[in-house]
Amino acid sequence: MNEREQYMALMSEIIQKQIVILGPEIAVLKARNVPEISIENDGKVADIKGDPGQALEKLIDTYVELSGQIVRNALGSIFTKYPAVSAKQRSGA
Amino acid sequence: MDVLLGTILGLVGIGALVLSVFVFRRAKRVTAATLAEQEEMRQRMYELAILKEVGDRIGYSLNIQKVADVIVGSLNQFIEYSTASYMILGPEKIAFRADIDKAVSHAFLDDVKQRMRLSLAAILDRDLGKVPLEETVTGAILIEDQGTSVQSFFNIPLVIAGNAVGVLTVAHTKAGLYKEKEMTMLYKIVGQASQAITQLEEVVTLERGKLQAMVESMQDGVLMTDTGFRVLVANSALRGAVNIPLGRELTIFDIVDACGGVLDFKGRLEESIKLDRTFVAGEVNLSGSIYQVFIFPVKSATAQGLGVLGGGVIFHDVTRERAAEKMREDFTSMMVHELRSPLDSIKKIGELLRTPSIRDDKASYDEYMGMVYQSASNMLELVNDLLDVAKLEAGKFQVQKKPTSIRTTIEDRVKFFDAQARNATIKLDFAFDGHVPDTLMFDPVRISQVLSNLISNSIKFTHPGGAIHVHALLHTQGRSINEEVTQAGLSWFVKDAEEKFKDLPNCVVVSVTDSGEGISSENLPKLFNKFEQFATSARSGEKKGTGLGLVITKGIAETHGGFVGVGSQEGVGSTFYFTITA
Repeated sequence: MNEREQYMALMSEIIQKQIVILGPEIAVLKARNVPEISIENDGKVADIKGDPGQALEKLIDTYVELSGQIVRNALGSIFTKYPAVSAKQRSGA
Repeated sequence: MDVLLGTILGLVGIGALVLSVFVFRRAKRVTAATLAEQEEMRQRMYELAILKEVGDRIGYSLNIQKVADVIVGSLNQFIEYSTASYMILGPEKIAFRADIDKAVSHAFLDDVKQRMRLSLAAILDRDLGKVPLEETVTGAILIEDQGTSVQSFFNIPLVIAGNAVGVLTVAHTKAGLYKEKEMTMLYKIVGQASQAITQLEEVVTLERGKLQAMVESMQDGVLMTDTGFRVLVANSALRGAVNIPLGRELTIFDIVDACGGVLDFKGRLEESIKLDRTFVAGEVNLSGSIYQVFIFPVKSATAQGLGVLGGGVIFHDVTRERAAEKMREDFTSMMVHELRSPLDSIKKIGELLRTPSIRDDKASYDEYMGMVYQSASNMLELVNDLLDVAKLEAGKFQVQKKPTSIRTTIEDRVKFFDAQARNATIKLDFAFDGHVPDTLMFDPVRISQVLSNLISNSIKFTHPGGAIHVHALLHTQGRSINEEVTQAGLSWFVKDAEEKFKDLPNCVVVSVTDSGEGISSENLPKLFNKFEQFATSARSGEKKGTGLGLVITKGIAETHGGFVGVGSQEGVGSTFYFTITA
């Protein structure tokens, strides 16, 4: 999996988890507010336009804005599955 | 002309049509904008109304369940739903409440519950499958219609102080019902209510922290239980008393066990709560300490009057008080013994003197009279010491200061003890620092008494062949006392002098240093204590005296505005000193 694909898989998992936490309608609607990503109806990320790191940040910020920092904490286990992306996000690269 | 008129009328007609279309479109836009504004206003009003209701109904409660009740109970003013429900995670169970607005099936409700459990488990990242559910269902009835299934729903996490405590869910049998805007608005409302609780909780936590710190700092053991005897508060002193380390859960049974056989702890506590009475339990021996136990009901003012919240217990450590009492009793009995011995001797000698054989034998008569004199002197010395100590303790001890030569006073005392020292084959000498003033303001009788006490003590505790050196030096303000004694070539066993002499004005330091058996570091602090000294001296057998000499010495020095000190090295020797303002 190249870096872009990793980002897509990671973001898809984040949306899937938010579907469980928040419900499918609101989770997908909010994800669609991030212009850098295209979302399928089941919440899968179909495409990323532009910087994937920025898209990921925007996606998380969207959920945090809706229901607070608690959603960021709930994403920890997903990030551990993508160490390269996680490290890159932490370094801000 | 007709053509022109027709054209004009046609243009007017077209103009009117265009104008009416324009007006219609504008009116439509205005109406749409008005409706949007009204809708926004309605949502805003609902937001404010629900926040006010939350505030009014929960007051200053920190109970998230009450807040969730308010939101669920008033949600139908704002949004259409089949069920509005919440789940709150407790220590042992999950509280679930659902308000059914439109009849749904059992399967619908089960589906909602399952989705909520999954949501909560995902937020907390833990399996909640086995946590029991405590259900409350209100509103419309549940039906057996299998056709109703969850088509629209969304969950709102309930978060207090950064911790997820539950989830609130809105569900409907119709698909695609909820718009992003209204869902977002509900998230906002719940978020604000949670924020209000969080802020209140922060204040309460802060205040509770202050109280907890105060309770924790108390020397007495403090315990509070609720009416079901569950421990609510227990400080470290209490844990120490019942020997339960910090970190281990403390239950009422730990205290019951610790008090077993001595105090019916649970019975008393129960009685105190039920009968609204305070009990003082005698004295309980726990972990080597003696405690007086106070058991009382804990009450709080409510609208209905005073309500009992539970029981409070204080374990007051009286170990030291009891030890002091025992010391006082021992002191009294030893003092009586010390007085009775010479009196007994005098009585017996008196009886002997009445016998003609002794009365007529001058040598024997003189010997016995000498013994009477010695016994009476010992008794008088003890009585004088006791009177001095009593005056010191009452703050009535007085000294008669007058210009006196410290050199002459020391010289006189050394000469007085010279014969006694020689008899004990101890070398007794004295020396003066050249800077010591010729005269100082002090009470010559009392300072002589101090010197007598120190020198006689040194003679008692110095082995034959040893030496005692009495020295006077001038301490200059700002100089190091250790340097001064080194410069004077003195043997000096005092280790804590530097701190005591720091910033002290000029004074004369009179020291008595011996090469005696020394004093252990454990006994050094007891030297100037009335009770300890008396007990020690009474135990020391042949070297016994009143034991009050050092107590009086300290009192005399302090009444002169100076102080006493001591230092020692066991098996090598000791230094006692006192200061007189120069």
